[in-house]
Amino acid sequence: MKELRFRLILIIGAIALSLYLLYPTYVNYHTTKKIDEVLTNKSAVLKAADPKISNDVLDDKLKSIEDSIKASDPSIAKEKSKSLKLGLDLQGGMRVVLEVNTATLLEKLAKSPDDEFKAALAQSEKEAAISNTSLVDLVADKLKAKGIRLSRYYGNIRDDDSKIMSDLKKSAEDAVARAMEIIRNRVDQYGVSEPSIQREGSRRIIVELPGVAREEEAKQLLQGTALLEFKLVKEAEFTLSVMQKIDNTLAGNVSLDSTGTDTTNSSTTASTDTTKDKKNLSAEEMVKKHPFFSLAIINPKGQTADAYVRADDRDKLKLWLARPDVQKVIPDNCQFLLSAKPFGYQNGQAIYVLYCVNKNPELTGGVVTNALANISPETSAPEVNMEMNSEGATEWARITGANIHKRIAIVLDGVVYSAPVVQGKIPGGHSQISGSSDLKEAQLLAIVLKAGALPAPVDIIEERTIGPSLGQDSISDGFKSTLIGFLVVSAFMIIYYQRAGTIAAGSLVFTILFILGCLAGFNATLTLPGIAGIILTIGMAVDANVLIYERIREELETGKTIKASVDSGFTKAYSAIIDQNITTFITGIILYQFGTGPVQSFALTLMIGLGASLFSALVIAKVVFEYMVQKGTKITIG
Amino acid sequence: MRIFEHIHIDWLGKRKLFYTISISLFLIGWTTVFIRGLKFGIDFLGGTEIVMEFQKPVDVNTLRNYMGNIGLGNVELKTFGGSNRVLVRTELQELPRSFFPQVIDNVNTSIDKLVPGLQAKVVDTTATSVTYQFASPDTTNLLVSGLFREGYQTGKVSEEPSNTQMIVRVGIAEWLKENLKTKLSDNSFNVLKEDHVGPKVGNELKTNAVLAIFISLIGILTYLAFRFKFIFALGAVVALFHDVLITIGLYAALYGVIPGLNLEIDLTVVAAFLTLIGYSVADTVIVFDRVRENLKIHKAMNLEELINQSVNRTMSRTILTAGTVLMAITVLLIFGGEVLRAFSFTLFFGTITGTYSSIFVASALVLEYANRMHKKVQF
Repeated sequence: MKELRFRLILIIGAIALSLYLLYPTYVNYHTTKKIDEVLTNKSAVLKAADPKISNDVLDDKLKSIEDSIKASDPSIAKEKSKSLKLGLDLQGGMRVVLEVNTATLLEKLAKSPDDEFKAALAQSEKEAAISNTSLVDLVADKLKAKGIRLSRYYGNIRDDDSKIMSDLKKSAEDAVARAMEIIRNRVDQYGVSEPSIQREGSRRIIVELPGVAREEEAKQLLQGTALLEFKLVKEAEFTLSVMQKIDNTLAGNVSLDSTGTDTTNSSTTASTDTTKDKKNLSAEEMVKKHPFFSLAIINPKGQTADAYVRADDRDKLKLWLARPDVQKVIPDNCQFLLSAKPFGYQNGQAIYVLYCVNKNPELTGGVVTNALANISPETSAPEVNMEMNSEGATEWARITGANIHKRIAIVLDGVVYSAPVVQGKIPGGHSQISGSSDLKEAQLLAIVLKAGALPAPVDIIEERTIGPSLGQDSISDGFKSTLIGFLVVSAFMIIYYQRAGTIAAGSLVFTILFILGCLAGFNATLTLPGIAGIILTIGMAVDANVLIYERIREELETGKTIKASVDSGFTKAYSAIIDQNITTFITGIILYQFGTGPVQSFALTLMIGLGASLFSALVIAKVVFEYMVQKGTKITIG
Repeated sequence: MRIFEHIHIDWLGKRKLFYTISISLFLIGWTTVFIRGLKFGIDFLGGTEIVMEFQKPVDVNTLRNYMGNIGLGNVELKTFGGSNRVLVRTELQELPRSFFPQVIDNVNTSIDKLVPGLQAKVVDTTATSVTYQFASPDTTNLLVSGLFREGYQTGKVSEEPSNTQMIVRVGIAEWLKENLKTKLSDNSFNVLKEDHVGPKVGNELKTNAVLAIFISLIGILTYLAFRFKFIFALGAVVALFHDVLITIGLYAALYGVIPGLNLEIDLTVVAAFLTLIGYSVADTVIVFDRVRENLKIHKAMNLEELINQSVNRTMSRTILTAGTVLMAITVLLIFGGEVLRAFSFTLFFGTITGTYSSIFVASALVLEYANRMHKKVQF
């Protein structure tokens, strides 16, 4: 028994870990079911109350109920993020491959592009479509062949071709970073759950949007030009008074949290508490009396009225701010905007900043000509140098001059990236923005500042949409096949090898459990080919058992005892089993490298499956065998 | 239960027969490849593919007649899964410009139905969409969701509350809808799945796929060369080439032969080929392992007899391991749905040829080599 103990602990540990990793998936499945039930009931109630209700209104209402249920309990989102993810082919949605259009960028960057330039560009574009050479190289070659120096179109007259080329390549690289940031920012705000934005190669971005039905709107979102604005941050007193009004409005209605729609209760409970006596209230009372301030926390000693919002509370806050009764108390000339990136972390939760800014921008980003992040030579702190064109510079001088010591928020597509304080009038358009905590943050700000001026033109080169019903079909097909596959293979093993076959069938259950556990643990996505990988693994997993059992049979024929036969059966089958797994693993790795989305998921499940089946056959099945031999239980292998 | 126990068959004596079988399968397959070519899926060809789900079953031939002359060039149609699902493919990426006015007319009619008497103004058109402008944001919002319900892909131009512009997609799916609306007035359809793949992506994927297959073969050759003498590794890899080539050939030959089976080479099929390469070499390894073991035990035995004995002894496990995999794949082939059918089919055929070649081709090649060299094979 002793020699088994270590392996037993290992097995129990592996099973426990898999179950632990799969637990969020189980919880998530149940919450989704519950929410669906609530929504079906609610939809029936709404229909009964108003039989003529239009689908539009009904959908909107149901959506807002769903949103508020999800927003009221942050743990739902947390469990979901930890649970096994389904690929687009299973849950429906949209996959778009975007490519930054270097040609448009080159044309935009060129000073006075003439026909000769355009001809060279057009020809290079055609060639680039079928070769791997970069467009910059091709254009440079074309121009060189005509005896034209690159400095005619780019950079300074004195710059040589190689410097210009490296600058251009850097601009192309920048354009991809800019496009990524713009897309990420928008997708975050669009409210797609679990979007995936990945960079592929040097110029491509792969965006996956699960559950998006309005393709055109989503494409618009990905391709549209970014809007960069400079907006004045409202003064603390003003902001506090607006927040107080919102708080009062909400205080009467906070019970609507989970149902969200019956916004009829009046807000007459005029609680005129000031910010100071809040400290004395308990957390629960606080939520009841000051719902807004319980989510948007103000630093009472701070100079500003910036409110701090936990990442989990952002959705709830946005819902509150969008309510018509709240909208009524917010003055027309201002709006609330959240910061794009977390300000800091508290107890492992990201904290975002809520700003109150002027609705009308002081300036839009078209005027920014360049922005560069570097380390300031004087303070050795990271800073961003921003340059503007002459029109912008004049305006900028006026704005900065009139708002000294006030803050100007840099807003890209509706979220605040930075809100620096104006130190003095900036006459020439050359501004330095300091306050970034590291160079990386400064670089991001530089990317954002350029987003308004230098568009990053992207082309859609691949677009795939899968309707939710097809995904549903695939899930049920996949589930059915896995179950039937398991039953067929298990039945065969049990009939052919009897008791030993039962052990193989039993360890197959654990193989499947380990695969799913690993997928959840790696945060991998399960796609239809991934399910195919699991089914294939079921067929391959018992191969190891077959090899071992056939060996044991052979050993038994030579007249060995059952114990000796089991021992040498396992030992002698090792090399063939390992060989088989390694060759399949090699192709798995290559497949993972070369494949895209769904195929990668197949390769991953296949590789995990190989590992899991090895563990089941060589550790679990062996422990069971040894235990049975020790106990003297009769082992039949057919 | 036992099968193939203590069999004594002179497999290698019949190797001429197996060579004939392999060569004829190869010739049948590759003659069709040269005559008809390989059928690639959208992943490799590029173009547009739309899967429509009708409310009632439709006849593909009738549908094909309807679509023959709607100006989309070469349109391919086939059933996809059930009898009410149809897959449409065209090489076009987007709808030709000349069809725009008609689609716009129809959009206008729909707008008029939703908000009678409204002035709809087109402010912009791109290759795939038109942008409308209306007087007020409320009308815009109403039309964006109203037209969306009618089956158009619509969107607001910006999320600003003051937005008055609406974008409507004009694509191939919309064109199909326009054309089928009158002809199949009692049977409307939904778009289940829509893929657009640019031509550049397709070419890249083709190169990558061929590259991946070759890298896999080289990887396995290297691994086996470490485990066995080079000639055995070479024998195994030649057997793998044999499997891949015969399966590709059969694939081409069977295209369109079995009704309802859509045999096109797409990304998942390439994945199936790679899996096949990794998996089918396993059987070969089992046989070779035994040959090596027997060479040590029976030093005086004639090589042909020794290989025969090894093949016979390992026959049951070779058949069983391939058998369990085939069971799983058969289940996938039957129940896995349309999306995985070509994938499962490749694995199904590949596993059969793989097992066949492990037993009959790989060891026969090693024997041929040894006979040519007139020397004893060593390990």
